[in-house]
Amino acid sequence: MRPYELMVLIDPEVDERTVQPSLEKFLNVITTDGGTVDKVDIWGRRRLAYDIKKKNEAIYAVVNFTSEPATAQELDRQLNLNETILRTKIIRPEDQKVSAK
Amino acid sequence: MAKAEIRKPKPKSNPLKAADITVIDYKDVALLRKFISDRGKIRARRVTGVSVQEQRKIAQAIKNAREVALLPYSGAGRG
Repeated sequence: MRPYELMVLIDPEVDERTVQPSLEKFLNVITTDGGTVDKVDIWGRRRLAYDIKKKNEAIYAVVNFTSEPATAQELDRQLNLNETILRTKIIRPEDQKVSAK
Repeated sequence: MAKAEIRKPKPKSNPLKAADITVIDYKDVALLRKFISDRGKIRARRVTGVSVQEQRKIAQAIKNAREVALLPYSGAGRG
């Protein structure tokens, strides 16, 4: 089991109220495979630094979860199949620490 | 350092230490903006004054932030 952080950019044409339930549907794969969803943070609409699929803004959401590597990969695959998801990124938060001494 | 040379460059203050930052988060756009030029390029270590390890983490964080369109790629956009 490893902690992961997932960032998803969702199509701005999607109603912001439907983001939470649809995201939870995707996250089901984590809980069914024995992982846990620790935090879901929906930032809301945000301007993009550059256009993605001709869109200049997107709904950002950040999810912290713990799962097996294979589960994280499967979640990423399923997200990428959905065309309302503009972009996804999964990172491992522990790689970001700097030895502050 | 052991001995001062003829020309001693003044030591730069480490901006991370000043801000008391232990985690370089790619989501912290306000922090990362300090380490890129107005054209979007990553600033060199001799400009930023951070340690090698920190510079590496910063560079990686900026690249991650670029992938999710939080920061611009250099050259892209106006300017």
